[in-house]
Amino acid sequence: MKTLGRIWWIILLLFIVLYPPTLGGMSAYKSGIMIFVGIYIILAVSLDLLMGFAGQISVGHAAFFAIGAYVSGILTVKYGASPLVALIAGMALSGAVAWAVGRPLLALKEYYLAMATLALNEIIVTLIIGLQWLTGGASGLRDVPSFSVPGFSFDNHVHYYYLVWAMVLLVVASSLALVRSPFGRTLVAIHSDETAAKTFGIDCAAYKVRVYVFSAMYASLAGSLFAHYMGFLAPDDFGVLTSINILVMLYLGGIGTIWGPALGAVFLKLLPEFTYQFQDYELLLNGVILIVVLVFMPGGLFGILKSVAERVNARGSG
Amino acid sequence: MSELSTLVQFFFSGLTSGSVYALIAVSLVIVYKVSLLICFAQGEFFVIGALTMVTLTSKGLPMPLAFVLSVLISTVIGALVERILIRPIRNSSVGNLIVMTIAISLALRGSALLVWGKESHILQPFSAGKPLHVLGATLQPQVLWIIGITVVVLFVIWFFFERTTLGVAMRACAENRLGASLMGISTQKAALLSWAWGSGIGALAGMAVAPLLFMQYSSGLMPMVKGFIAMSIGGLASIAGAVVAGYLLGIVEAYTIGLISSQFADTIVFTLLIIVLIFKPSGLFGATRSREV
Repeated sequence: MKTLGRIWWIILLLFIVLYPPTLGGMSAYKSGIMIFVGIYIILAVSLDLLMGFAGQISVGHAAFFAIGAYVSGILTVKYGASPLVALIAGMALSGAVAWAVGRPLLALKEYYLAMATLALNEIIVTLIIGLQWLTGGASGLRDVPSFSVPGFSFDNHVHYYYLVWAMVLLVVASSLALVRSPFGRTLVAIHSDETAAKTFGIDCAAYKVRVYVFSAMYASLAGSLFAHYMGFLAPDDFGVLTSINILVMLYLGGIGTIWGPALGAVFLKLLPEFTYQFQDYELLLNGVILIVVLVFMPGGLFGILKSVAERVNARGSG
Repeated sequence: MSELSTLVQFFFSGLTSGSVYALIAVSLVIVYKVSLLICFAQGEFFVIGALTMVTLTSKGLPMPLAFVLSVLISTVIGALVERILIRPIRNSSVGNLIVMTIAISLALRGSALLVWGKESHILQPFSAGKPLHVLGATLQPQVLWIIGITVVVLFVIWFFFERTTLGVAMRACAENRLGASLMGISTQKAALLSWAWGSGIGALAGMAVAPLLFMQYSSGLMPMVKGFIAMSIGGLASIAGAVVAGYLLGIVEAYTIGLISSQFADTIVFTLLIIVLIFKPSGLFGATRSREV
């Protein structure tokens, strides 16, 4: 079940391609919802690389989401850069920050690591609020243009939907390739027993930093996509609560499975569409979901699907 | 205002927030010592205590009664959370325990939102009275309450853990779980009690400072993080260290806001946290103990 069968890939692709003209009815609103879902899938999958595979807890993943969004926003709004250049610059900066702080930060364990990553998130947010001349501060950064490449502008939401989902597929596929590579297996080894991995001559610190850089760059990509979709950035969207939200997606879907966190993101971002009259309950619901998953279904939604599929298969062959 | 009075004013605000940080750090330390768990939901008890007291006093309850009831209610919630949510996954990985306390924090914050709404609430000061003037600086009477409550709480904690059988038994659990359980001490009961203590003290911190703040359902995060900073500077498992570090943090923060930059004070404080975590993981006052792997 770790490898999703070819048939499932085709169904998934068809669904993504056919969504706007069918279920989406070519409406900007319905494509917009799926754009959000796609952006959060990228965030959840990127955190899964770090937490699910390398076993490094992070309560500050939104830090890199913020860097991507604000680099894109600032470069396009204040310096007239092309969105593509800004996106790449954001990813480069996020990667550089992750690389610079990764070694000392990821040497920390458990509570220390959780708090340090949370602190990193807060540092980025307080910098955004403080550097008002650059970021617009607490009142936000306005008029971020739509995404465009030379000769084509994605100002139509349906077009942008296809761009975002192409990125989602790219991130999911590359993450799957990454975790199945020798690199990914080394991460799992470090996760299960760092001391043992060390005695096999694995440079654990270097591996952890590398996966952190990957994870940060993907989150930054999500941030840039978010900036061009929203057109308006405010620090509230990038706080610790957002980081925790991504964490909930991870556990809800099934940590360490790539598909699981993606599923968690879909579920958690679509839920408000059905419960919007109960908006005030969302926070409590997030907490309760997380508690239920931790106590009763440690494999998450993906784990449940997996066991159902296995049971069906067993019945079929038996 | 003269130079001196400005500096004194910053000192007072540092003492105020320092007391809050010290109390929260102590509440984290007590839970950590006994059950080796750092509770990310500690800030929610800060909020629940304060907002419960707002509600009770607005219903016309006399101040002292509302005060005692709010502490009790928070303590019971804390104990229930431990019993119902933490104990079943007690032997899970630390990562899962961290995420569980985050989940609890979301659930409690979400409940607070439903009970008290999004608006800010303000508690009336514990005693009426004009602000005092010391060396040209203003001192709110509530600040004296905050410092007084902190002193009393610290004394009660000292008395409980040093002079009562139950407290000594809990300390034994902190030193050596297996040994303590062999002596017939219930480590489960100790963990439950530590949560009750932790949530009660967290609530007290919130209630004491509520008359000076606009308290709302989401106000718990920052005090929790600042409490953790004080806890780690103090060396994680030391109550005395947490208290000193709490006041130190409050005062450093107040002077940073006043003299260096109000916008970047938090940036500086969080950077300090990361530096302490990386270079001095046993805390500024901690012995040079090796880090646990």
